Amino acid sequence: MASPSRCVFPFIFMLFLVGCSSRSLYPLPNRRHNGNRQPLQTFRPYNIAHRGSNGEIPEETTAAYKRAIEEGTDFIETDILASKDGVLISFHDVYLDDTTDIAEHEEFINRKRTYEVQGSNFTGYFVVDFTLKELKSLRVKQRYPFRDQQYNGKFSIITFEEFISIALDADRIVGIYPEMKNPVFINQRVKWPDGKKFEDKFVEILKKYRYRGSYMSKEWLKQPAFIQSFAPTSLLYISNQTDLPKILLIDDVNMPTQDTNQSYWEITSDKYLDFIKEYIVGIGPWKDTLVTASDNYLRKPTDLVARAHARNLQVHPYTFRNENQFLHFNFSQDPYKEFDYWINEIGVDGLFTDFTGSLHQFQEWTSPLSTGERDANKLLDKIVFMISKFKTK
Amino acid sequence: MASLSIVVPFIFLLLVNWCFARPLYPLPSRRNDRNRRPLQTFRPYNVAHRGSNGEIPEESAASYMKAIEEGADFIEADILATKDGVLICSHDVNLDDTTDIHDHKEFADRKRTYEVQAVNITGYFSVDFTLEELKSLRLKQRYPFRDQQYNGMYSIITFEEFISIALDAPRVVGIYPEIKNPVFINQRVKWPGGKKYEDKFVETLKKYGYRGSYMSKEWLKQPAFIQSFAPTSLIYISNQTNIPKVFLIDDVNIPTQDTNQSYQEITSDKYLDFIKEYVVGIGPWKDNLVPVSGNYLETPSDLVARAHVRNLQVHPYTFRNENQFLHFNFSEDPYKEYDYWINKVGVDGLFTDFAGSLHQFQEWTNPLSSGEEDAHKLLDRIASMISKFKHA
Repeated sequence: MASPSRCVFPFIFMLFLVGCSSRSLYPLPNRRHNGNRQPLQTFRPYNIAHRGSNGEIPEETTAAYKRAIEEGTDFIETDILASKDGVLISFHDVYLDDTTDIAEHEEFINRKRTYEVQGSNFTGYFVVDFTLKELKSLRVKQRYPFRDQQYNGKFSIITFEEFISIALDADRIVGIYPEMKNPVFINQRVKWPDGKKFEDKFVEILKKYRYRGSYMSKEWLKQPAFIQSFAPTSLLYISNQTDLPKILLIDDVNMPTQDTNQSYWEITSDKYLDFIKEYIVGIGPWKDTLVTASDNYLRKPTDLVARAHARNLQVHPYTFRNENQFLHFNFSQDPYKEFDYWINEIGVDGLFTDFTGSLHQFQEWTSPLSTGERDANKLLDKIVFMISKFKTK
Repeated sequence: MASLSIVVPFIFLLLVNWCFARPLYPLPSRRNDRNRRPLQTFRPYNVAHRGSNGEIPEESAASYMKAIEEGADFIEADILATKDGVLICSHDVNLDDTTDIHDHKEFADRKRTYEVQAVNITGYFSVDFTLEELKSLRLKQRYPFRDQQYNGMYSIITFEEFISIALDAPRVVGIYPEIKNPVFINQRVKWPGGKKYEDKFVETLKKYGYRGSYMSKEWLKQPAFIQSFAPTSLIYISNQTNIPKVFLIDDVNIPTQDTNQSYQEITSDKYLDFIKEYVVGIGPWKDNLVPVSGNYLETPSDLVARAHVRNLQVHPYTFRNENQFLHFNFSEDPYKEYDYWINKVGVDGLFTDFAGSLHQFQEWTNPLSSGEEDAHKLLDRIASMISKFKHA
């Protein structure tokens, strides 16, 4: 019994180890074509699914993001906040009241608080007071009453990592566009070990999933990403941690920045743009500040787009919505007319939209990805063939 | 004095000639009329419902001209009558919702209560005003969520003015007038010679040369559809004109105003077999063609199929861009709605408040000419390239 049993036992143990820890030598069957995934389009303005297809499905849910990918979006966008136990989640508001069923959870009734956020007091249930497990027990609902309510109560809040998995799992290359949301508020309320803060954890997760590379680099095109924030110091802070392209979001004219308390006029001045352009590839303004409106008609464009473009800064305005209450009268209640104006007259480089399907349809009709070219090439081949028949005579 | 007796009649004849003769040459703006782009007939008709009333107050000259500019195939109008028997374009029998009648103190005593299609309506009725009085009113945009900036700028127009707008267009534009509320009109307005509302309606069309059955040469020069919810009116005029007629169908709980027939009856096979001898198509409310529940469209009813099998066109009403009118299947996107109705349900025409959007959709998905022109040019070039070598 001596030698065989002494060999067999460790051998079985090693098999066991190998079985548990090794990666498969072959790709998963549904991933076999990943080498040939349709790349990100870069020849026309970016279609950015603002919080997923939240025009149809409650915002920032798995379903909203998968729908956006299905509808042809270039980038799925999300707002990153943090839970009480420091997990980064996809969620827009710092409080849960407007987009979840928190009000129906009696077990959390004593968590109501009043906090100051960006100079205003808010009363409600704040994400920073709930652990991830508790947040996962809530259900998300559609924010706007005039949109489809049929998915209310079906989906939960997802984490930053789950959001990234949705993008990586798509059957074509889909970029991500995460926002460092309310970093001042988050860092006040949530602490991480080792003195790390929100911005550090944010970049850590991106690196964990191998997001890297400057704009249009080979690595970037494999896994495209833009990092956005309203807080310039956060963007500066991470600028030596990652070379992923960054976008400075710009709020309405009466809102100062949350971290540096600078006014709209200051951060859109030539001097500031000259400074910030070393750190960012573009700006993300509220579209009603790019073109002044009165009596619900757009009037003249401001010069912000021109000044940004002169500094090689992209412009990605927010947010485009199909509903007529959001459309100025120039557009005859037609969202496609609005897309046409911003893309062809103003010349923006990307659009945050709640209706990524409509924007995709507009772009396919007016500047399609391939057909024209493919058909022309096929036609040329046929002509050459027809001519060659006679040529050799 | 003999010469005088020649000169005076001669001068008189000249005067007569000047007063009555038409110029021997066409007006400069009309010189290209013979080459006017014809009506498109290869894709569903874009019918500008009350003009481009999504942008400009309904049934005004401006809203019709905008619709023509935006590419509509037909401009649509509802024809009613004034107290003095003039046919006008106006949708409601009362003036309260689309005019500034309430600002006109001089008419304050004209308020009435009338029964219209079994419902009592209180307000100011156009049948109680002469044309001159109606012309002193100003139109306003019916829906508060639409552009209000043109309120007070335009007046009510007559049927004849409406026709002139179509005839004056730079391309062939059809008209789609409705014999509106004929029961009510004939009760309240009388014409001399024992004529009634339907007679005057057809008279006006004939005066401007509208005639010809569907797709005939005359019809293509001046296309027109006559529509009505009242079958007896359509039947009544059927031997006065062969202009194609369309039978409008109201909601499921509204009986016809003249024959008191239910929706079920007038959409039955038996009735369609009867009415198809008089009409070329039906104009139903679109939510009856495909039922709705929870603001989602369900499976289509068989009305389109049964109409098409009898060679009846289907022109549903009314398409609007605003999200409150869009069912959730369409992601708040009016172009998705057009796509569904044109490509899935297969309708033959659409009444829309936004002729510009429908035109844009059709141009993107089913354009008028470019593809064909380019293909022909390409084929010509290929043929010439090949022939060069053929003779070698």
